[in-house]
Amino acid sequence: MKTTSRFFLLAGAVAAPVFFTGCETTQGVKNPSGVPVTEMRPDEKGFVQGTGVESQDLVSVTDKMSRSILGIPEIARAQNKPRIVLEPVVNNTRFPINKDIFLTRIRTQLNSKAAGRVSFLDREMMKTLERERALKQSGQVTASSDPNVVEFRGADYFLTGKLEGMSTRTSQGTSDYVLYSFRLTDARTSEIVWEDSAEVKKQGLEDAAYR
Amino acid sequence: MTDSRPAQPSRERRPSVVALLAMSAVALLTLAGCETMPDRPMRPPVARTGDPLIDGNNDLANAPDKDRVLLEYRLGLMALRAGNFDMAKAKFDDAIMRIGGLLSGPADAAQRSRGLFTAEREKVFIGEPYERVMAFYYRGLLYWRDGQPDNARACFRSAQLLDSDAESDAYKSDYVLLDYLDGYASAKLAADGSEALARAEKLTKHKLPPYDPAANVLCFVEFGHGPRKYAGGEYGEQLKFQVAASRIRSASLTVGDQSVHFLPWDNLNFQAVTRGGRVMDHVLGNKAVFKKSADTVGDVALAGAMVAAGNINQEKRRVVTDERGRRRVVTEYDKSDGAETAAIALGVIGIFSKIAAAATQTKADVRMWDNLPQYLSFGTLKLPPGDHPAIVQFYDANGQVVPDLTRRITLSVAEPGKDTVVILSELKR
Repeated sequence: MKTTSRFFLLAGAVAAPVFFTGCETTQGVKNPSGVPVTEMRPDEKGFVQGTGVESQDLVSVTDKMSRSILGIPEIARAQNKPRIVLEPVVNNTRFPINKDIFLTRIRTQLNSKAAGRVSFLDREMMKTLERERALKQSGQVTASSDPNVVEFRGADYFLTGKLEGMSTRTSQGTSDYVLYSFRLTDARTSEIVWEDSAEVKKQGLEDAAYR
Repeated sequence: MTDSRPAQPSRERRPSVVALLAMSAVALLTLAGCETMPDRPMRPPVARTGDPLIDGNNDLANAPDKDRVLLEYRLGLMALRAGNFDMAKAKFDDAIMRIGGLLSGPADAAQRSRGLFTAEREKVFIGEPYERVMAFYYRGLLYWRDGQPDNARACFRSAQLLDSDAESDAYKSDYVLLDYLDGYASAKLAADGSEALARAEKLTKHKLPPYDPAANVLCFVEFGHGPRKYAGGEYGEQLKFQVAASRIRSASLTVGDQSVHFLPWDNLNFQAVTRGGRVMDHVLGNKAVFKKSADTVGDVALAGAMVAAGNINQEKRRVVTDERGRRRVVTEYDKSDGAETAAIALGVIGIFSKIAAAATQTKADVRMWDNLPQYLSFGTLKLPPGDHPAIVQFYDANGQVVPDLTRRITLSVAEPGKDTVVILSELKR
């Protein structure tokens, strides 16, 4: 019986490592479970580099921009309420985005926080407004003021922005750096009266099953 | 006289058999436990309508989450070719959002698919890089069609980036069309596209046309059938591609007195096979090694069990002398406890090794975006707004027109300020 027990133990000892070593299918694979996306400071050096434009970027960038605009003398100490026109943001990144969303949020932030210190001109509505004025001028609809007098306001400033990106992808992961820059240009002098930027860098590593 | 009756079972053997049975039960439970997720109950099949878009949407509604992106790729492309651009956008947007979202954290299904007893096809499908590239490419065309060349350019850049981690430097980001279109979109946006054009020129053997920002009709042409995946290797652990040469090698579009000839700029078959090895190939390779080892251990253990079983009852012959002094040979059978236990132990090990080998899922994931083309090409035209009759022709390797593929179409050119995007494909769906 002693021989039998020894044999049994030996067989078990041989079989067990076969089972347990074989269970390790990702032997030699670095980070087989991947690494969750981590938002980092732009000046922080990461192990790989980042990804995508997301809602938190939108919020933080537009918050920063609206605070910054409100602090400039042209807005804070303006004699007359400045009128601003929004121009579409230029997207030079690798991410398709809704470009209007940045300026829309800056506008809503300024409108809610500036307490009437600035006003925005709705150029998106120009075609509709011109059609309405034409109807008034032709007498097809009523008018509360003389429709032949031009009352559409001209812009004092143009607010626009640009998204620039830098992307890297290696077997170690994907990285994206996005620079969001916005500027306010004097419509009369073409002078840039304000400019500010924000940076976001992100990085991620996909699961080994996708690499 | 010697007692030749078989020996009575030893009392000591009983606990060993009980222990073996207990071990068997535990092992079975352990293996059964590898199946952590029951299959989702299947929905009743929906009747086919014959309309590929309706049927495709029904399939999508009934598909498990892991196949959703695959079906969206296929359906998005079918919708694009059928001219249902809203549906195509919806499908590609959802697919791109899902494949992008996988970066945000480890996916359980992906983690499971790396396990021994779960097949790679159980992971959420996002496709091989060439498939992901094509999802961005088609979405880019749709953005351009909507008058958003900057978002189109963003898609082309994302697509090119997806190809930037090929194993060999020679094949990194080597789609000619993506770089060309990146620069062309910049040129359309009054920016400098020369750098992207220079990259594209470096990648191609053909002479690429210079950018013409005034061209208002952009023709994206595709022909041939894209790569087909299959599982190779002893245990199907290698992802391989079948890359048959296309019958069609070029195409042309004739509108009035203008004609554009389309040569292949990019070849998806080439892109599929030049990626180099995957990390998952390594994982599947390890699974295959385990499967083979377990199978061998099973074979050896079962053979050993057979030998041991043959030795349980040992025949012994000896010469005895009876009372009369006569000598004769007596045969006796002696049951060996050790051999019996060894036979059981080896049998159990053999069976479990065989079960483990059979349960090991080594096969590479061969789910594929199967309506992709092989060749991609591009050309532009300058046409006034309005409808223009046109002829599309496809040519074989000898430069002969393939008559059954010739089509007469009408190009509806948009008002100035917006490019007209035309997608011409040899493939119907």
